Amino acid sequence: MLRYTARQFLNMAVTLLVVSFLVFALNELTPIDVARKLLGPYATQDQVDILTKQMGLDRSLLARYREYLANALSGNFGESILYRRPVAQILWDRLGNTLVLAGICFAVIVPFSVLLGVIAGMRERSFIDRAISVFSSVCASIPEFALGVFLLAIFVVELGILPGISPLSTSGGWPIWSQFVLPAAVVTLYDGGYLISMIRASMVEVMRQPFIRTATLKGMPFRDVVVKHALRNALITPFTVILLQLNYLVSGLVVVEMVFAYPGFGRMMLEAALNKDIALIEAGTLCAVSVTMLTQILGDYGYMALDPRIRV
Amino acid sequence: MADKLHPIIKLAGREFADGNLDRREFLRVATLLGVAAPVAFGMAGLPTPARAQGTPKKGGTVRLGSRVQDLKSPHTYSWVEGANAARQSLDYLTYTGIDNVTRPNLVEKWEASPDLKSWTLRLRKDVTWRKDNRKLTADDVAWNIRRVLDAKTGSSVVGLLKGFILDEFETGDKDDKGVAKKSTRLWDASAIEKVDDFTVRLNGKTANLGIPEALFHYPFMIMDPLENGEFKVGSNGTGAFEMVELDVGKRAKFVARKNGHWGGGAHLDNFEIIDLGDDPAAQVAALVSKQVDMIYQGAITTYSTIERIPHLQINMVDTAYTAVARVHSIKPFDDKRVRQALRHATDPEAVLKVAYRGLGKRGEHHHVAPTHPEYADVGYMKQDIAKAKALLAAAGYPNGIDAEIVCRPQPDWELLAVQAMVEQWKEAGIRVKISVMPSTQYWNVWTKVPFGFTTWAHRPLGTMVLSLAYRTGGAWNEANWSNAEFDKMITEAEGYLDVEKRRAVMAKLENLMLEEGPIVLPLWRSVFNYTDKKIKGYKIHPSVYIEAKDMWIDA
Repeated sequence: MLRYTARQFLNMAVTLLVVSFLVFALNELTPIDVARKLLGPYATQDQVDILTKQMGLDRSLLARYREYLANALSGNFGESILYRRPVAQILWDRLGNTLVLAGICFAVIVPFSVLLGVIAGMRERSFIDRAISVFSSVCASIPEFALGVFLLAIFVVELGILPGISPLSTSGGWPIWSQFVLPAAVVTLYDGGYLISMIRASMVEVMRQPFIRTATLKGMPFRDVVVKHALRNALITPFTVILLQLNYLVSGLVVVEMVFAYPGFGRMMLEAALNKDIALIEAGTLCAVSVTMLTQILGDYGYMALDPRIRV
Repeated sequence: MADKLHPIIKLAGREFADGNLDRREFLRVATLLGVAAPVAFGMAGLPTPARAQGTPKKGGTVRLGSRVQDLKSPHTYSWVEGANAARQSLDYLTYTGIDNVTRPNLVEKWEASPDLKSWTLRLRKDVTWRKDNRKLTADDVAWNIRRVLDAKTGSSVVGLLKGFILDEFETGDKDDKGVAKKSTRLWDASAIEKVDDFTVRLNGKTANLGIPEALFHYPFMIMDPLENGEFKVGSNGTGAFEMVELDVGKRAKFVARKNGHWGGGAHLDNFEIIDLGDDPAAQVAALVSKQVDMIYQGAITTYSTIERIPHLQINMVDTAYTAVARVHSIKPFDDKRVRQALRHATDPEAVLKVAYRGLGKRGEHHHVAPTHPEYADVGYMKQDIAKAKALLAAAGYPNGIDAEIVCRPQPDWELLAVQAMVEQWKEAGIRVKISVMPSTQYWNVWTKVPFGFTTWAHRPLGTMVLSLAYRTGGAWNEANWSNAEFDKMITEAEGYLDVEKRRAVMAKLENLMLEEGPIVLPLWRSVFNYTDKKIKGYKIHPSVYIEAKDMWIDA
């Protein structure tokens, strides 16, 4: 167990190193001239050349990567050229905002979709199953930005009971908590719709198993059949998918963050990429990769707890 | 008018009296040459424009929805959004109003030498720096001018004033292709001269009528030399506000200056800028739920929504803002008949309607707008598919041509315009593929792509645009266009003060562009933004410059 964990972390360190180099190298291919971008299209070539030299961008890729790596290993992730501040400051701020939103969404999505998925799946083709299935496929099939605009039209334009954007500041006259409602609702409906279908399918599958029939035929109350026998088995497959939602919730919220002007991690990464802000792209990517790998390790332990047949 | 008048003003006055110079142009010339605006308005027989909309009330906050960018280096700003933040704390030497007339600001008065090479700037004596109440002096101003003209600073003022006051020289280095690198320096040691404590003189090497307008170029803000060219929270300034908070990508906050501002100070207590990102839906949402009171610029997709919301107002102004589809002279566009075919195949009115909801004017395929004083009406080119086909066949392409156009996805109207034109061109057998490239990438290649769709900002004079964009070797000549006759005529046009004489040359220039030119120009767009009706004292500027100190709130 300990050895397994140690190996996983070693694996993670190597992956991070490789990814950091790949991102650095791929970034070179982006056809953006950083100095030109900073000075704008109307600066003369001479001015751009001077700034390129000042920023050390005329040195070779390897020289710059070596310098970056040395700094990163000592805990200095450099300065963002977009925000002109240390990367750590921006990153933790935006990541923090996203984690709050992701946490709220995760806390709602999981119980909500497990509950609905199980209810729908335990009595296949019943009325309640159909109702939930329709609801979940509608939610999952409307794109996030469209869902966002629908909710905006209803709750902001028509009813006027919720704020239209979520800059997480009170200067707009709306309390902070109210600014989480719409972004969280969009993510919950969109992502929850998908999870409900997943869990329902898995539940239907389990309910068809012989041991369920046995349990039912021996006279066990239906409630006990579901809770004691079906539930745990039905959750093994969706468990990975549920954990994968963590990755999505950290780095995939970019659309929702754009629609609601939410100062989060996804929007920050998009802007960093558009501006070739290498220090920020690197740090952000490493964060996203770490989250992915940590959820993987977590997933492995979760499997062991759920399925006694699996051992490391 | 006890002051000595510049000889050109006398001449201009005569032309104006003879009816050759239109009022607006006379005003522009007179104010540029140093006649105070109210006096010039009097000379032109026009009332001074009224600014007031009722009596301003004190207090309150206005929140502007706009990108909040890094503000560290005002002299190198490359986007208006940054300048709209810093201009609340820092002032310009001059101010070009929404009527294209440039007025004194920190400079109380200016005088030009008869040959227009030397410009004397006399500063107001009542301007003080907020932090220490020091007076603004000629030394401060000279330091700023020197700094923006230094190649190391990286300011776009260099491109604007290069011909007037800078010399190009070879640095001795060579670039990858072995071409000697060039840099710029002041052409003469006495180019920026301090005359006395409140007077600075610019001694140029060539005549230039546009100096006062150049002094209002948006990175040309006057900073305290003690701040070393950096602008941050609490930075000193002569402006009406102090920046008290800056969170890039989120928010900037300004509070009104307490100790006397030379212009009478702000009516508002606070001015805030809130970053809404690039999504137009977020802008509407923020306005509707009153989280912001105005936004920097409206998008065409949100126009009809805003019209229906009772507490919001749409502000609009006609401009020379446009975008041109322009080609390099390489196959198949090396043949002028193919370039003509491209124009004949375009239906500007349809493009204006589809891409910009008809909010603007139809284009005429030459880069001189009806808002320019020297605009000559050489006729509107109606779509003529048969003629386009005939021209292509004559050029040796009876089966049409294939090409690829590069454009940006944002602002949305640009892509819509390209799509509309591509559909129209298809009818004439010009099959064009659209390649969409994010703005940041587009600006790296805008002069290099063979066929591109490039946005052009509003400039007060037609000659300024033509000289910048189409003169052989011009800094922003993205089409690499070179035509000796064109170059000769544009120089001739720049030499005439008389608008009618200039218009006569302009007509020839415009016709030359229709015959030979590298562009399709589908529309002139109006610029608009949205404000809450409670905001008074605000009018939209053709360049969307926003001055919070003039605003007040009527709740």
